[in-house]
Amino acid sequence: MKIKLLATALCALMLSAPSWSEQDEADNNVNNGGVSSLRGNVELDTQQDPGRIKQVQRDRPTMDREYVHQPPLIPHQIRHYKVDMDANKCLSCHSWKNASETGGTRISPTHYETRDGMTLSDVSPRRYFCLQCHVPQADAKPLVENDFKPVESLR
Amino acid sequence: MKKIIAIIKSWWQTLRAPSSASLGFILCLGFFGGIIFWGGFNTGMEATNTEEFCSGCHEVIVEEIKETIHYSNRSGVRAICSDCHVPHNWSDKIVRKVQASKELVAWAMGNIDTPEKFYERRRHLADREWDRMKKNNSQECRNCHEFEFMDFSIQGNRSVKMHSTALASGDKTCIDCHKGIAHELPDMTGVSGWH
Amino acid sequence: MKFTRREFVKANAAASAAAVAGVSLPATATNLIASTDQTKIKWDKAPCRFCGTGCSVMVGTQNGKVVATQGDPKSEVNKGLNCIKGYFLSKIMYGKDRLQTPLLRMKDGKYHKNGDFQPVSWDQAFDVMADKFKQSIKEKGPTSVGMFGSGQWTVWEGYAAAKLMKAGFLSNNIDPNARHCMASAVVGFMRAFGIDEPMGCYDDLEAADTFVLWGSNMAEMHPILWSRLTDRRLSHPHVKVHVLSTFKHRSFELADNGMVFTPQSDLAILNYIANYIVQTDAVNWDFVNKHTVFKRGTTDIGYGLRPEHPLQKAAKNPDSGAMSAMTFDEYKAFLSEYTLEKTVELSGVPADKLEALAKAYADPKQKVTSFWTMGFNQHTRGVWANNSIYNIHLLMGKISEPGNSPFSLTGQPSACGTAREVGTFAHRLPADLVVNNPKHRATAEKIWKLPEGTIPPKPGYHAVLQNRMLKDGKLNAYWVMCNNNMQAAPNLNEESLPGYRNPENFIVCSDPYPTVTAQAADLILPTAMWVEKEGAYGNAERRTQFWHQQVSAPGEAKSDLWQLMEFSKRFKVEEVWPAELIAKQPEVKGKTLFDVLYKNGNVDAYSLDEVAEDQLNDESRHFGFYVQKGLFEEYAEFGRGHGHDLAPFDMYHEKHGLRWPVVDGKETLWRYREGHDPYVAKGKGVDFYGKPDGKAFIIATPFEPAAEAPDEEFDLWLSTGRVLEHWHSGTMTRRVPELYRAFPDAVVYMHPKDAEKRKLRRGDEIVVQSRRGELKSRVETRGRNRPPEGLVYMPWFDAKQLTNKLTLDATDPLSKETDFKKCAVKVMKA
Repeated sequence: MKIKLLATALCALMLSAPSWSEQDEADNNVNNGGVSSLRGNVELDTQQDPGRIKQVQRDRPTMDREYVHQPPLIPHQIRHYKVDMDANKCLSCHSWKNASETGGTRISPTHYETRDGMTLSDVSPRRYFCLQCHVPQADAKPLVENDFKPVESLR
Repeated sequence: MKKIIAIIKSWWQTLRAPSSASLGFILCLGFFGGIIFWGGFNTGMEATNTEEFCSGCHEVIVEEIKETIHYSNRSGVRAICSDCHVPHNWSDKIVRKVQASKELVAWAMGNIDTPEKFYERRRHLADREWDRMKKNNSQECRNCHEFEFMDFSIQGNRSVKMHSTALASGDKTCIDCHKGIAHELPDMTGVSGWH
Repeated sequence: MKFTRREFVKANAAASAAAVAGVSLPATATNLIASTDQTKIKWDKAPCRFCGTGCSVMVGTQNGKVVATQGDPKSEVNKGLNCIKGYFLSKIMYGKDRLQTPLLRMKDGKYHKNGDFQPVSWDQAFDVMADKFKQSIKEKGPTSVGMFGSGQWTVWEGYAAAKLMKAGFLSNNIDPNARHCMASAVVGFMRAFGIDEPMGCYDDLEAADTFVLWGSNMAEMHPILWSRLTDRRLSHPHVKVHVLSTFKHRSFELADNGMVFTPQSDLAILNYIANYIVQTDAVNWDFVNKHTVFKRGTTDIGYGLRPEHPLQKAAKNPDSGAMSAMTFDEYKAFLSEYTLEKTVELSGVPADKLEALAKAYADPKQKVTSFWTMGFNQHTRGVWANNSIYNIHLLMGKISEPGNSPFSLTGQPSACGTAREVGTFAHRLPADLVVNNPKHRATAEKIWKLPEGTIPPKPGYHAVLQNRMLKDGKLNAYWVMCNNNMQAAPNLNEESLPGYRNPENFIVCSDPYPTVTAQAADLILPTAMWVEKEGAYGNAERRTQFWHQQVSAPGEAKSDLWQLMEFSKRFKVEEVWPAELIAKQPEVKGKTLFDVLYKNGNVDAYSLDEVAEDQLNDESRHFGFYVQKGLFEEYAEFGRGHGHDLAPFDMYHEKHGLRWPVVDGKETLWRYREGHDPYVAKGKGVDFYGKPDGKAFIIATPFEPAAEAPDEEFDLWLSTGRVLEHWHSGTMTRRVPELYRAFPDAVVYMHPKDAEKRKLRRGDEIVVQSRRGELKSRVETRGRNRPPEGLVYMPWFDAKQLTNKLTLDATDPLSKETDFKKCAVKVMKA
């Protein structure tokens, strides 16, 4: 199989390969002109090291919010925390019923409101899947600095 | 019938009659026989503690543990089913194993032989385990996680808060908070502490 | 050489930072009462910049910068909610490496294909660019120039671009990246209904009893719609959710009936359901007799590969979308092979689950809404899949009424509003008109006040073909705008990269940030984004939404609209039009394309007086008239009175979006249904008026295998897609630190047993290889996605792990949309 492949490849090369100088020219063409993307200043035909899987910090103090309606980030790891029709692990600490005992941040009153703004006696089903808005944070240096500046009072 | 009775009688008499063999020999025989019997019994019982054996009926659960911290973690120390679900102390273990004979009936009846049937009964099965662990003060957790030796200075904030208060005072036991840590949870409606 | 350039970029950034720092900020307030002036934020609405859901957000600005965003409580779509990406919109414009000046590849002070990027002025940039476009047109004709646009363009940007290409350069080689995500849906709509876009709307989410997700992972890809679906499911216990996918994902968390099927077997499942309906005689005969006709689709149509590809040669009817009439009995006979047994065998889904699904569709009492996105569309039989789901809904009459809805979702914020409605495709014109229809061309030429014969009749190069033609040297001057196609388009190694770097070609890339595409381009144009310009988007439920410019763009960055219109000034009509065409309308002589296309009495009809004095609008102030309004009103003429009615321009700035057709100021929620749709005459009940006889097509097409399936050597299916936290190629979301840290790098999701077989453990570095290329990644065996054995899933947002080095450029032969969900790979330890 391999020999066959090799032979085909060789044939293809002989039939279609440009002269070496042309080949060099083509290779030279793949250059990023010195511009750095989220890949870094790395040519597109090269292969990059994927880096290690970045770890979520196990437990850390709550992170400051930079504007009023920014959803709080999750300051702890959530490995194997289940949120489905059977159970909601997040609410077992963060619901109003459980928060004072567990010391978790109480979910905001907005979470009790329906689509039409009616306040329910329990968490609104539209807010059931917590991870749509709240995410944990890996221990990773941002790829690019961000110049966003919060308002004076939140700096 | 008479013949059978005669055979039993003669067997009984043989047993009763003093042996011509030396006491030492008999003791030796008893000793090694005991070892073999004991070894066999224990091996047999231990065989019922392997993941393969558990998988026979609880395959779904055995698969589920694989992605949890009790199966895969940084130091490679891991728990298997029996570490948490079979008491380590011998007499409790025997009691649990005898109870398990009832589960053979469930097996024979095919109570959980499809994933659907299993999910159906999952809450019932979980309740039994939580109950058992609550009653024995989470003994199987404590076999590895001894409260006395916890170093709060390197635990996370959330852990310290709960462990240094509710757990320390005996107000709560491990299983009160750590449900479903090694596999998926059943429908948690009405379970205390759950939403 | 490279060093000086980097120094330049740094200096540039520092200068702009200093300028910002120079704005003196008031001292910190000592008490709240005194601080109200300083804590005041100016709020204005804007649709979200990301997916096709079309949530509305409130944008807060202070001192010329966005300082906050939050969900818009008045928006019907999201009612104050956002997903994690939407909540962080506030930061997407502030990545430190925003492009602020045009950059041109140069050597010795002149443009050079292999040169290094140097900052140039807009004048220099457009000089070189216009020169290249003119040279191309002169030497090789209009088909040698082209443009790759976007479903993220604003409505007027897409419109201005289509006009420039089709009526200015006389080239139909303009296609949007929406080709990669929506094309199969479009062709499906056109075949079945003769008119594009969903008949239903998001209100179906509050009305359905049963939801079926076909390949769609709404929980991650359309989170706000998912939140509405969750609301419905959890507050109404009778509601059931069926989820079908080739791997388990977050949407399974709410599934009453979750099904993992073998890739491509969705075609069989769809036909099985239709067969079940027919066999159990659940057919809604009244509806079927009155409103549908049966058609047989041509089969064995190939895989949209290059003509010399063996698979293409083997196809009996390559690229054929022909249909022939068929009776119900013939349709019944056609379906009969899709038995439960056969479908179980093909799909690997247990029989009881399939049956439960079929029963839900076949039960006349259950209102069923089906959702799909890329699972159906990015499929070498995507059009067939789209039509097959319509078949099911049509057989049951479960369509065009609250809760009964076959619903094709979109991936981009204006895939519908711009790409589809404006018609920025190689074969389209606005409002469902097409270039190969002489009447349609005449309509466009009349509205545009251009001579007859301006618009070329032959469809141009579609997305994948553009890259092939670049490689083959037939497309030479090429403008990529508002997308990152070098990271998106399939088969980077064999098609896109050699195409862009072909010495014969000149590639322009307009983007706010330096992307992978920019790295492969020859000229990079810095672009204003989102609320740095006035805009309009159209979402998946036909809702058109407007926003005002709220801040200024940094440095020299200009909006796509400014770039398109300003560039058109560089061309005299004589330089791009043949003499015969000019002769038909001599008054255009000596004029520029700008004069002919945009200063035509329509586009410049609204004066600057209509722009409020304190309202930012950089383009209008630059060109001297209300550009956006002029473009929109001219464009709207195409659809008004033809079922595509858009409201008057100003109305959209007041409302939080309106669903077209908007007739007499009233939006349409369900099309084709009397009482909901003004186009359906009284007494008709239902009227599929896109078809001459008002009847929708039920089209029979079979199961056919995928273009590439795992074999002994390449033994795994590869499915690519997105994750919740990142949008598309990650250009915006990965520059927001919180989103980056939420999902830093791409990983390959794999079944633990597949990992074990390859002696891999979680986190191991791996090489993923296909017949076309390879990349390095890391194994993930747990978490949100659980592939079955034999399939791996990988998100494509990571510029360091270019999944398109692996993907195959096979497309649906009818829609020309790439199948990004199926190719064969192998995985080894690195």
